[in-house]
Amino acid sequence: MENDGRRKFLGVCLAGATAAAAVAVAYPVVRYLGPKSRQAGAEKLVLSASDVPEGEAKFIEYAGASAVLVKTKTGELIALSAVCTHLGCIVQWVKDQQHFLCPCHGGLFATDGTVLAGPPPRPLAKIPLTLTEGKITIG
Amino acid sequence: MMIKASMRILALPLLPIGALILATMPILHPTEAICAEQPETVCIQCHASLPDKLGAPVNLWRNSIHAENGISCNSCHGGDPKNAAEAMSPSKGFIGVPSETNVPAFCGRCHPGVQKDYLASGHGRALGKGGPTCVTCHGNHQVLKASLDLINEKSCTRCHSFERAKAIKDAMQQTEGYIEGIGRRISGFQATGVDTERLGKGLFAVRNRFHTLFHEVNVARVKTESTQINTELAKLDADLKVIEESHAKRRVAGAIAVSCLLLIALLVHLLRRTYK
Amino acid sequence: MLKRLYRWVDLRIGASEIVAKELTGYLLPRNINEWYSLGSILLVIFALQVVTGMLLMVYYVPDADKAFKSVTFIMNEVPYGWLIRLCHAVGSNMMVAVLILHMLSTLFMGSYKSPRELNWLTGFILLTLVQGISLTGYLAPWSQLSFWATTVATNSASAIPVIGPYLVEFLRGGKLVGPPTLGRFFALHVSVLPVVIAALIGAHLFILKRTGISTPPFGNSETAKPWRAESYSYQSHPGGIPFFPNYALQDLTSICIYFAIFLAVVFFAPNLPFTPDAFVPADPFKTPAHIKPEWYFLANYQTLKIFPSELLGLSVQAIAMTFLALLPFIDRSPERHPMKRPLFLICTVAGILLWIGLTVWGHFS
Repeated sequence: MENDGRRKFLGVCLAGATAAAAVAVAYPVVRYLGPKSRQAGAEKLVLSASDVPEGEAKFIEYAGASAVLVKTKTGELIALSAVCTHLGCIVQWVKDQQHFLCPCHGGLFATDGTVLAGPPPRPLAKIPLTLTEGKITIG
Repeated sequence: MMIKASMRILALPLLPIGALILATMPILHPTEAICAEQPETVCIQCHASLPDKLGAPVNLWRNSIHAENGISCNSCHGGDPKNAAEAMSPSKGFIGVPSETNVPAFCGRCHPGVQKDYLASGHGRALGKGGPTCVTCHGNHQVLKASLDLINEKSCTRCHSFERAKAIKDAMQQTEGYIEGIGRRISGFQATGVDTERLGKGLFAVRNRFHTLFHEVNVARVKTESTQINTELAKLDADLKVIEESHAKRRVAGAIAVSCLLLIALLVHLLRRTYK
Repeated sequence: MLKRLYRWVDLRIGASEIVAKELTGYLLPRNINEWYSLGSILLVIFALQVVTGMLLMVYYVPDADKAFKSVTFIMNEVPYGWLIRLCHAVGSNMMVAVLILHMLSTLFMGSYKSPRELNWLTGFILLTLVQGISLTGYLAPWSQLSFWATTVATNSASAIPVIGPYLVEFLRGGKLVGPPTLGRFFALHVSVLPVVIAALIGAHLFILKRTGISTPPFGNSETAKPWRAESYSYQSHPGGIPFFPNYALQDLTSICIYFAIFLAVVFFAPNLPFTPDAFVPADPFKTPAHIKPEWYFLANYQTLKIFPSELLGLSVQAIAMTFLALLPFIDRSPERHPMKRPLFLICTVAGILLWIGLTVWGHFS
């Protein structure tokens, strides 16, 4: 029947149009719900060198995640990610032992980020820093 | 078909009524008036019923920009706005009418920048020697929002010829127009939900800087400052253009969406017809 | 492939039986008209309001200090936030408008008469619930418009004798509109009212299916068949058109046309549901002059202003609403064709004109 042919054609057109409409609706909703897009280069953080006394660690936020700035007893300044490489908990600074301890499963990290003991598979990621005229620039 | 025709005719009354309801929607847009309903000060309550010189300021004030922003008599003249017994008491800060030479200081309590510019200008140097005070040009109670119209032949020729004032006015006309235009566009956007806080503040700052030029009455200075101000305005303009462009894109997307939907409606309708 | 899936489901739950009964075998009167689609349009609008409302809840904060900023954030920073918010705001106005049209078509075609009184009653309750959900939603942005329109609306309850003032405080959660008001209005708006509305829609549709859909009174010579209250019987339409695919496609066409109108408003008249005061944060100490409620409440608002006593104004409206609610019990004549019901026609048209007149007057006053 002629109708059948027409029906099929219209059916195909409609299927196509509906699919397009579905995409047109889904796209804004996904963008709406998605997290905000990060810029390519994260902003730098500037601190004063006197903010971190020797043998102490200062926890800061950098590039949307937790980071730590540590000044060793020898005066060396190191910036590391404070996120434990095992399952993502934030490590703690143990002052009398001068190392990092993860409270979740007991992972131990040295001041340069290397794993001393426990389950963490990788060392803490290093973050580049520069020291100029008493000002630390992280990033 | 017979049945369809009669049905259509009888459905007719429903359609205009339905359309009327939908059409009145744009008209039924609640509009807002300006005045704020705030409790009146005792100053107004008493003076509004007094005759001549004592009562006239009340109506003049009601039309002013001070009234629009909730600034009543006590803000300038002091006194207690809530207690009639203390309303004109010096112990509550009542100042009364300032003398001519004290007018700039009187207004300068809230407008210090303007006072400074005025005192440094030709007008300010002539204070007390026949020169104008703030109220000479701005009025005392019916103070309106500052605009270039205050510089006009009738007002300025009270003391001197109009040519220098006219030069200043012409130099400032274009920038003033630019500022007003940007102000209108910002309000327009604010009414559609765009966050205009930063732009509004930026314009406010530029506008104030521009208006300090009014009190300089120095043609050369006006010309140089105006160029700088115009660059700032151009930046605001560019920001607004970005918003306008994105809004235009939205309308295009809207047009596509509406036409696609009408197309789908047509396809569905034709599909339905194949089942008759 | 699709056929195999269908067969798999059918073998387990008897889907083909359901399809035969509810879809292809569900016969509708031959002279059914487009006005009958308004019900499905309302369902789609409600669904869209729920979805956009849920999306808005991801970013909206129902705290008096943060609400306005969160809405500004949605409108300016969140990708397509402006679209979701506008769909929700325009959709709420559309819902009330389409609801009124649906009610009017029911009135004119006499579909509220026996045996369909329950449908009319559930529909009437739905009307009040939709008004309630619109009122509670209006406060959410915490703008000058929200704050003061809610103040005006809740104030009207004070005219009720004895319990009036207590009722106002109960509604507001305090003497004046404030953070407690936002808390309870938000809870009502996102959980209580949508659930109750959904339940009532379910009841409304269930009753419709059990009674059977009415035949439009047009194109028939015999439009005054009295219903005999002897035993229950489903009003079937033998020889009618099947719901699926025929009337389902008609519904779909109407829905698409509705969406076209809806999106035209969203994209080309986004200011329609707003006034400039809707974008100024609420200031409990500064009332803008001429605060008015939304358009569908203007007639009520104006009625209250006309009567010297607020109690009288409220009572008049209560009587009118009660009359409307009990219409199927008051109008018992079996005649359904509008042109053959002159008294009804005069009263209804007069009522509509009065409502429009009061609304327009309310706007300009």
